[in-house]
Amino acid sequence: MATSKIILTDVYKSWGKAEALADINFVCGDGELLVLLGPSGCGKSTTLRLIAGLETPTSGSIEIGGRDVSNLPPVKRNISMVFQNYALFPHLNVAENILFGLKARKVPKKERQKRLKDTAALLGLTEFMDRKPAQLSGGQRQRIALGRAIVAQVSVCLMDEPLSNLDAKLRQEMRQEIRSLQQRLKMTMVYVTHDQVEAMTIADKIILMKDGRIEQHGTPEDLYNRPATAFTGSFIGNPPMNILTSDGPLSKSFPDSSYFLGIRPENISISNTSGIEGQVVAIEYLGADTLIVCQWGEQLITLTVKGKTDALVGDYLRLNWREENIHLFNRDSGVRVSNPAGGTAR
Amino acid sequence: MKLREIGIGKTVETLGAWMLGALWLLPVVFAFWSAFHPAEYSTSFSLFAPLTIDNFVRAWSYAPFPRYLLNTFILVTLILAAQFILCTLAAYGFARFEFFGKNVVFALVLLQLMIMPEVLLVENYRTISNLGLLDTIPAIGLPYMASAFGIFLLRQSFKTIPKELVEAAQVEGLSAVGILWRVYVPLARSTYIAYGLVSVSYHWNNFLWPLVITSSVNSRPLTVGLAIFGAPESGVDWSIITAATVMTMAPLLVAFILFQRQFVQSFMHSGIK
Repeated sequence: MATSKIILTDVYKSWGKAEALADINFVCGDGELLVLLGPSGCGKSTTLRLIAGLETPTSGSIEIGGRDVSNLPPVKRNISMVFQNYALFPHLNVAENILFGLKARKVPKKERQKRLKDTAALLGLTEFMDRKPAQLSGGQRQRIALGRAIVAQVSVCLMDEPLSNLDAKLRQEMRQEIRSLQQRLKMTMVYVTHDQVEAMTIADKIILMKDGRIEQHGTPEDLYNRPATAFTGSFIGNPPMNILTSDGPLSKSFPDSSYFLGIRPENISISNTSGIEGQVVAIEYLGADTLIVCQWGEQLITLTVKGKTDALVGDYLRLNWREENIHLFNRDSGVRVSNPAGGTAR
Repeated sequence: MKLREIGIGKTVETLGAWMLGALWLLPVVFAFWSAFHPAEYSTSFSLFAPLTIDNFVRAWSYAPFPRYLLNTFILVTLILAAQFILCTLAAYGFARFEFFGKNVVFALVLLQLMIMPEVLLVENYRTISNLGLLDTIPAIGLPYMASAFGIFLLRQSFKTIPKELVEAAQVEGLSAVGILWRVYVPLARSTYIAYGLVSVSYHWNNFLWPLVITSSVNSRPLTVGLAIFGAPESGVDWSIITAATVMTMAPLLVAFILFQRQFVQSFMHSGIK
């Protein structure tokens, strides 16, 4: 099978004077699951729509499978797409919804029926074939939308927040299912989400976006362990990284107030002797661990401890961390300036 | 206190509704009464008056009603088909595509809504005459085919169709016409039913324009045929006139009663009231 690598080069997109995307460059490898992650309005969906051909870039080029598709309509790009609200046709039953595109593409009837049967079996939809989407649950509708994407048998699949309308438990199941389907069918997938947990668990690579630009492109481990900016640090991880600043000495290797210090909640420990002193303002017991939010001056620091804590709201705790666990960011640009392994700022 | 006020309001509303209903129903009831009874009972009420269908038989044979019925049937079908095609295409253009002057053109369409067709009687007559279509069935329908109401209604209905569905169809490889036919039209089904009903009943009952433009049995619709039939110079026989009237309205009435539920639902869906 031909390669299905997706390459975006110097892509810009603006509507009138409003710039939606700037300087977008990335490669999504063959068979890779790339997640576009970011807060709402960051341009992740626009990027996906550009790849799909539902929007055209203001400048720059988009290549799919070695072909420049920048100016081709969606149908010529050999892609399938799953929409946030599933985009199922309410007047068609499950089978007709799944086969919608194959009929339009004039796939022979025998082939259509075979693919429908395979897809339905793969997704556990066989018994619902004659139902209308309105008669099915959210999870089943999601499966139909997936079915429509799979039945096309194209190697590039685009997903626009496919799980955001499902409840938490179903979301977890479906994301595992999507991941295993993607690997089994060796699809190249671009997946848009605002949920960092979803991104971390499903992705080969993540692109974190903010205000129409790419903040960081890397593996989930890269983003977690070596956030390139303070924003990445505070976006990835649950609870997110503490981003602190101080005029005084905050840590041995914290140079001065022109820097942010980033420290993950799980890397903060409670000490009797050293560290900064904070007052507990909230305690959230989660079972396996407990979140403690402390007030330190004007800033809040979140830390996690294993199991249950003896601390009470109002107590003063001394918070300590190891030098190798801190991340330093330039306070103006937010860009990373330290190497956490070395632990020294430059 | 408050509860009682609501109670009184409700009573007045109900009474009003019944009165309006009765007012609407009375002529219909009279028409049926008089059509099914001998002439001497047409203006006097007697519960045990003998029933007869003689009036229908006579009306049917006195005037070419079968031909009128056929004309009306052809007329409403022709108009409806033309309206569906023209309005669908126009509404699709307005709802989905951006083009230069779109708003101006749409405003012109809306402007047409504000002009009563009767105002254009003379002008339309001249146009039809220039086309050489005087006294034909298409001539009766032609002024109504590009219906502004239909365009407006379908455009509104098309605009409520989620963009994602259209985009999904685009990704799946449908052409612009394919999207219209396989996404927009099926999803606007209830609007089509509601509009179809309004159109059919309007043109079934339309009188003035057909009267002006037709002059022979071959093109005259039921309403005009009925008026000529009931004209004073042919002598007023209420029984026969009402029998003819019942024949005229029966097909519509029966159709409405049969499809009442669908119609009401469609009206609720499409927002025409």
